[in-house]
Amino acid sequence: MPIYQYIFRRILFAIPLLLGITVVAFLIANAVPADPINANLPQNALNNEKLVTAFREKWGLDKPPHIQYLTYLRNLLRGDMGVSIKTKNPVLEDIRQFLPATFELATYSILIGLAMGISFGVISAVWRNSWADYLVRVFALIGVSFPVFLLALVALSIFHAKLGWTAGPGRLSFLVKDPPHVTGLFTIDSLLAGQWKTFRDALSHLILPSFVLGSFVSGIIARITRSSLLEVLSSDFIRTARAKGQIEPKVILRHGLSNALIPVVTILGVLYGNLLAGAVLTESIFAWPGIGRYAFRASTSQDFPAIMGISMLIALIYVIANFIVDILYFLIDPRIRYS
Amino acid sequence: MSSATQDLKLTSQSRLKLLKTLRKSPAVIIGLVIVLIWIVLAFSAPWIAPFDPLEQHIPDRLQAPNQTYLLGTDELGRDIFSRVLYGGRITIPAGLAVIIIDGILGLVIGAVAGYLGGIWDEIMMRLTELFMAFPTIILAMAVTAALGPSLMNAVLALVIVRWPDYARLTRGIIIENKTAEYVEAAKALGGKNPYVLFRTLLPNSLAPVLVYGSLDIGNAILIFAGLSFLGLGPEPASPEWGRMISIGIDFFDQWWMWLFPGLAIASLVMAFNFIGDGLRDLLDPRMRT
Repeated sequence: MPIYQYIFRRILFAIPLLLGITVVAFLIANAVPADPINANLPQNALNNEKLVTAFREKWGLDKPPHIQYLTYLRNLLRGDMGVSIKTKNPVLEDIRQFLPATFELATYSILIGLAMGISFGVISAVWRNSWADYLVRVFALIGVSFPVFLLALVALSIFHAKLGWTAGPGRLSFLVKDPPHVTGLFTIDSLLAGQWKTFRDALSHLILPSFVLGSFVSGIIARITRSSLLEVLSSDFIRTARAKGQIEPKVILRHGLSNALIPVVTILGVLYGNLLAGAVLTESIFAWPGIGRYAFRASTSQDFPAIMGISMLIALIYVIANFIVDILYFLIDPRIRYS
Repeated sequence: MSSATQDLKLTSQSRLKLLKTLRKSPAVIIGLVIVLIWIVLAFSAPWIAPFDPLEQHIPDRLQAPNQTYLLGTDELGRDIFSRVLYGGRITIPAGLAVIIIDGILGLVIGAVAGYLGGIWDEIMMRLTELFMAFPTIILAMAVTAALGPSLMNAVLALVIVRWPDYARLTRGIIIENKTAEYVEAAKALGGKNPYVLFRTLLPNSLAPVLVYGSLDIGNAILIFAGLSFLGLGPEPASPEWGRMISIGIDFFDQWWMWLFPGLAIASLVMAFNFIGDGLRDLLDPRMRT
């Protein structure tokens, strides 16, 4: 199957899923609370007859449920997710403002998570049942058992407050100005503008939260790499490679790891979703101005439209991430191409 | 997750082996001991806690751990030690409730879908996919926000978010066993559909679901703590662990305010994971190393 055909099929699969997400979101937003007007409008607007009527008409609340859903879908396609009760801005506008910070954090985190997880997994599998293996397994267990917000607090208090190795909360220090906006990612924008100082400052702020989120996912990556590599290393082609007299590191990395990484790739999409969920729980601890902190503020202040907007967005990113992973999978695993 | 768990099987032979190996598996035993300690502590909190968890001692606010207040006090002078003990009375039952309700729900829905097959199966599978399109805590967050924050609603949200895993697991087992000889025999003896399903097939699917539940309870507790960290759990004054950490963020230098409830969650979840991992290693030979 040529790749464009495969991509086309995956897109066809993704469409009903995306529609389904809107159905679930619609059900939560409209069927669950006793009164969507109470949930979506701020307190002081509830007494204002005009505002309430306008809201009811805009979302078709006096019409039957299926019309309500279509109205909801139409508004959504126009990018209208309602107005945040707390910030008073359209939710989409808020998201556009906060997304780059989270995207930057998530990207660094997944890179760190992969680097840590894969190397730990390899060490653990190669020196199986050694002290290094036990250490890695304990680390992986902590990664899946500790609440990520506790990891964040501990990391901040040790590496920032106590040792002073990294910068504290926020994206940049107090006196450092934002780099000129190109991508919204401060580490890239500052390099493009040639501002070395800003780049260093941004990196120093990024390192701690991305290590926390990275270790949050690296436990899972290490476990999968370990068990997958153990399985691959016991297969015939590894024995053949060894019999041909190939040196051990090459056997493990070239023949073993490249095959063992396939299961890691398949769960990358799920991990990215985990990472975004982790961001919701940790960004407020690092005062990171991303959608996670926005979601935290929205949930603690009962800002219902904002919470729904974030949930839809993260589900959307989740579907896209899994879509990209499917295509990666197609590229690296020839077995799919011929099936 | 479901593909790995589908491999879990518990035959009578391995049940015997399980008991034998349990004694040899230190991780499972450590896990069981820690969980038992937490259950005892939570149960006897009214007798062993030195203070009422809600009682405020304003003059003693923000005290570091000392002899009177073993784990220090919070911003209203409440005793952290007593609050951590009482927290177990919220988290442990909440986690158990989610697993039990989801286990039953998943067994029934998954069994019916798997047994009837066809359109029913198709509907259930597509429905579970929709729920799984959201990262768990995000969906739970949306549901709790819609229902309004409370302990019951947080549990309800978790039930709504976690049932698809159980249903898919049960469905897989039922489909695998549907053609087994003992099922054919039950049918040949004139057993009607509900009888065959609920009296012969379902009891044989119970064990894997139980094992999955023990693996999942740590997850459920983490998500529950996350929800209440976000302010979507029990009411603010309640001595719930996630909530205590959330308040502790504003008192970063008073590390005892967030560290001890955090360690409580971590130790409990880790203990459940010890048990779950141990059981999985015993039952899934591929994961055994």
